[in-house]
Amino acid sequence: MDRWQYLIVLGGCLLTTAPLELFGSGVYRQPRRAAAAVLPVAAVFLIWDAVAVGAHVWWYAPRFILGVIAPGGLPLEELLFFLVIPLCGLLTYSAVDSLLRPLRRRFAEVKHR
Amino acid sequence: MSGLGYTLPAALAVVAVCALELGVLRTGLFRRPAYWISMAIVIGFQILVDGWLTKLSAPIVIYDNRHTSGIRFPFDIPIEDFLFGFALVTAVLLLWERRRVATRP
Repeated sequence: MDRWQYLIVLGGCLLTTAPLELFGSGVYRQPRRAAAAVLPVAAVFLIWDAVAVGAHVWWYAPRFILGVIAPGGLPLEELLFFLVIPLCGLLTYSAVDSLLRPLRRRFAEVKHR
Repeated sequence: MSGLGYTLPAALAVVAVCALELGVLRTGLFRRPAYWISMAIVIGFQILVDGWLTKLSAPIVIYDNRHTSGIRFPFDIPIEDFLFGFALVTAVLLLWERRRVATRP
């Protein structure tokens, strides 16, 4: 069960943030925009990650990962990390932004008065 | 304890992301209250998740202390992780906002 730990942490992040999709125009409902935001950044950070693992700056405890290693020496979980965490960030921002929208409108009205 | 392997690139990543916004993308993200509120929420949850990943009693991610500042706070989180997280999430939000700017009439 230990070997699922990293994956379970990531799954927990997705589950916790999933309800945020209900606010505004969401993130999962804009898949192209989400992909255009997440994938280029993930690519850069995966290169950084692979270099750091290769140079033994940090590494992953074999006990807590499935042991599926992608080309570049990174565990599967680490690849998913760079999709999951950005999605959580986008969902948070999208929800906060939509919740602030009425306030923003009100502020604009006051300014125009 | 050289700090070169993680501390330096983490600091550079933050500088690079700020330069990307201020010099190239100019989305106005840093002027939006929604951004700063979101980052406060993200950092709050990062402390929980990252705290679990880096706890020294049973770490999932293990760091070579020679490559970090050695400062771990809160819990056992290397402070460099907060620079890493800030750069990662901010970069993604910048590209997300760029689409809004691009589609604005």
